[in-house]
Amino acid sequence: MKRILVIDDAATVRLYHRSILESAGFEVTEAVNGLEALERVAEAPFDLYLVDVNMPKLDGYGFLRELRGKNQLPQAPAIMVSTEAAANDQAQAFLSGANLYQVKPVRPERLLSHVQTLLGMTPTDVGRPS
Amino acid sequence: MALEFKKTTVIASDLLGVEDAEILLEWLIKHPRGRINLSACTHLHAANLQVLMAAKPKVSAWPRDGVLADWLRAALTP
Amino acid sequence: MNPLLDQFLTEGRDVLQSIGERLLQLEDSPNDAALMDELFRLVHTLKGNSGLFDLPEMTRVLHAAEDLMDAARDGRVPFDRALADRLLEAMDFVATLIDEIAEAPDDTPPSTARHAGDAVRLGEALRSLLQDDSPPLDADGTQEIPQDAPPALYRTDAGPDLSALPEQTRQDLRQRLDAGESLCWLGYEPEEECFFKGEDPFHQMLQLGAPLWHRLEAREDWPALAELDAYRCVLRFEAIVSASPERLAEHFRYVPDQVDILPLSALMQTDTPQASATAIGPEAAWSFDRVLAAQREILALSDTPPWLDGRLRAVAASLSAAFISVDRAIEVETLEPALASALAARSPAPLLAWLDARQPPTEIGEAADIDAGAPTDSSGAKAPEAEAVRFGRRAEDHLTNPRTLKVDQAKIDRLMNLIGEMVVAKNALPYLAGRAEDVFGVRELAREIKTQYAVINRIAEEMQDAIMQVRMMPVSFVFQRFPRLVRDIAHKLGKEVRLVMEGESTEADKNIIEALADPLVHIVRNSLDHGLEMPEERRAAGKPSEGRLNISARQESDRVLIEIADDGRGIDPNRIRRKAYERGLIDETALERLSDQEAINLVFAAGFSTAEQVTDLSGRGVGMDVVRNAIARVNGAIDLRSQLGQGTSLRLSLPLSMAVTNVMIIESAKQRFGVPMDSVAETVRVARHDIRTIKHRRTTVLRGRLVPLLSLNELLALNAEQIPNDDDEFAVLVVRVDQEYLGIIVDDCRETIDIILKPLAGFLGGLNGYAGSALLGDGSVLLVFNPRELL
Repeated sequence: MKRILVIDDAATVRLYHRSILESAGFEVTEAVNGLEALERVAEAPFDLYLVDVNMPKLDGYGFLRELRGKNQLPQAPAIMVSTEAAANDQAQAFLSGANLYQVKPVRPERLLSHVQTLLGMTPTDVGRPS
Repeated sequence: MALEFKKTTVIASDLLGVEDAEILLEWLIKHPRGRINLSACTHLHAANLQVLMAAKPKVSAWPRDGVLADWLRAALTP
Repeated sequence: MNPLLDQFLTEGRDVLQSIGERLLQLEDSPNDAALMDELFRLVHTLKGNSGLFDLPEMTRVLHAAEDLMDAARDGRVPFDRALADRLLEAMDFVATLIDEIAEAPDDTPPSTARHAGDAVRLGEALRSLLQDDSPPLDADGTQEIPQDAPPALYRTDAGPDLSALPEQTRQDLRQRLDAGESLCWLGYEPEEECFFKGEDPFHQMLQLGAPLWHRLEAREDWPALAELDAYRCVLRFEAIVSASPERLAEHFRYVPDQVDILPLSALMQTDTPQASATAIGPEAAWSFDRVLAAQREILALSDTPPWLDGRLRAVAASLSAAFISVDRAIEVETLEPALASALAARSPAPLLAWLDARQPPTEIGEAADIDAGAPTDSSGAKAPEAEAVRFGRRAEDHLTNPRTLKVDQAKIDRLMNLIGEMVVAKNALPYLAGRAEDVFGVRELAREIKTQYAVINRIAEEMQDAIMQVRMMPVSFVFQRFPRLVRDIAHKLGKEVRLVMEGESTEADKNIIEALADPLVHIVRNSLDHGLEMPEERRAAGKPSEGRLNISARQESDRVLIEIADDGRGIDPNRIRRKAYERGLIDETALERLSDQEAINLVFAAGFSTAEQVTDLSGRGVGMDVVRNAIARVNGAIDLRSQLGQGTSLRLSLPLSMAVTNVMIIESAKQRFGVPMDSVAETVRVARHDIRTIKHRRTTVLRGRLVPLLSLNELLALNAEQIPNDDDEFAVLVVRVDQEYLGIIVDDCRETIDIILKPLAGFLGGLNGYAGSALLGDGSVLLVFNPRELL
């Protein structure tokens, strides 16, 4: 089963993402900020990261830079999810190591589609237990 | 004059220019139940379009030009 | 209650309480940056949460509060009593809404529209504290953005949601795409200040003509009318139009950063409901494009931070996944070495090169920027040079044209052969299922094999369809030679001819188009030679001295219709009757009996030529029979109509593609042959003693009808006797040719199979009697004969 780490300080947003992803058969782990996310990653790396920008203690950019700096880890794709549609935020996300930038709220179908693409799932894989 | 104001209806004819948007907006603010007749309208500048979309007045007649009418219908009817 | 909504309300109340506490603490220590930071984040969280639901009033107020807090945090606005009061007031409003939502019985939040006025007022009150109107600075100033970082390729991820289209529209789009039309989805978000630059986005859209589908929306909720700024453009246009991406890019060349153009073909190609299990849907295609665009942008970054290795590896992982997700896993094999060299060089260049080789950049609007000269009107247009610099693209990006691929014909043919083999090979599965059941007695397995067969069968059919699409080419390939040909011939004959051509872009399979070339030239020559009169003859007949020759092509369901019509002298049925009689083609009774149309059709009889004199153009001996046979060879039909004195028209009807042919395998003289099933009426066994010889011809009686019998070996000049079975019965293939039944004696009739029939090429092409050949699963070649020509 593909494992996804959802990192957001807002419980509602985490639940929103979790319910979308779980409905498609993914295993979802949550972290409330970048520091906690790094702890989860240290336990076992994930197949994909869904990262909020603004969080206490360590924000999304900081988390990504830390993650991408860990050379011994496999480097899974990361989607940065922000409330801002500004081009600068996207550039900042890419510089930090995100692979896709999305503006909240992401439509469920679109989120799943992006996730499936970044997990290398063909349409035949989709809908099957991963 | 592209805009002609009657008691409860504004009649738009020919081309509504960018400067007409403000006049149209003012009238629609004062006449919340006002209607607009677009049958003789050949084009309206996008600023007017915004005013109509925000105010959503009743349209008593659509433009004769099919393409223009199609766009307006889609934008102005719920 | 909906758990997400429940969570939202719970968290909302917690956050509101925290906001209240922090506000009070801040009044005591207004310089506590950490506290300020946390307050901002709390408001930000609440705003983000409200955006998940349709709660525009709450979102509006929280958005204003967030902007204000952002300014306060950055020190642009002093944190004072007034600010705290406004914020508390706003949070009270949010709390009211939350209570209201909690009390609603439904699973979805109720409309809070009646608070719209309050929301506007509160929003304005909060914003009035923001003296400085400039946009907030980059909130997270931890890193400088390099100068050459490219801007966003797209502002938001607002792609086309094609699944939302009405089914009828989708069908229409599909048909148009299948017919070769170039369709694009267009999203246009004019910038807010565009009205001040003299632009009219609506006019720009209307100039595109009637779209096939369109949508017009506001990018944000409309405020109360009194608050409306009519001159701040917040419109969003979407349309699907029949135009090439290049044309659209040209149309919007002054605002390339405000439009998204996406060719529809990629999105809809495989999007049939029946194919949903394996097809790359529109969402997936969109994701693939977006993921690639994002990786391209990341690879264009020129900084070298300590985490560069990880960034490159993550890009490689994303690219690998994206290609696998669209069933292009095989291309990923070369990605690993590209990543290795990128890591070694600490440079994204090798990965970028890999990506460019797979998927050339498809930035739209740049080509147009280059072509369009400096605009003379500077008020509404940006200079192209400035645009190019702003995009910071590499020069070679401009040179590639990613939408068409030149592929060697042989490669396509190989693919077609392989698909043909696949089509044949899959035919073995039903037999296997049969054997599993009958021979080995495992029904369960037999059923599973049949299920798998159904899947493979469907994929094979789609593959056929796909390759057929690739092989389509326009009839203009043949038509383009006609203007010159007509001019030259007319000149030579001293005739005046006006050529009118229509529908040159109509497409058909390459084989069909190529098979059409010679017959069409012949027909056109015939028209010029025999159909159209000399100018003086035309004038005498009261016609304009200039003759008309119309050549048109159009598609009608799964066939291509080509019509060649002239307004010449037409065909005289009486003259045809006389001539056919003179040449012994018909007897006296037929002379009387033939209708005019039947008489006219005699021109297709072998060896018929009506020319008064033999010219060097039409030549001798080659007549309309050759034309008809050539058309019949590709399963085409020809229809001739003529009105004496008014003109002649020939209508060719051809299949769109050389689709799969169902043939029966027969054996004769130890060889296998194929016969198209549509010409086989039935197969029977005829005992030797039931065959009689009447007038030197063998015949038999089938269901009370006398059927002439012919031996296939004799027809094919194979030196062998037909072999009967153990009961001394012959296998007979009954075929129907021109309403007549004929029996062909073969050695054995076998199974029927699907094949992709290919016309015989080279000198074999001249061989009469064969419809073509096909490659079988075992690699052998099957010759398929054409009964009509054989007899």
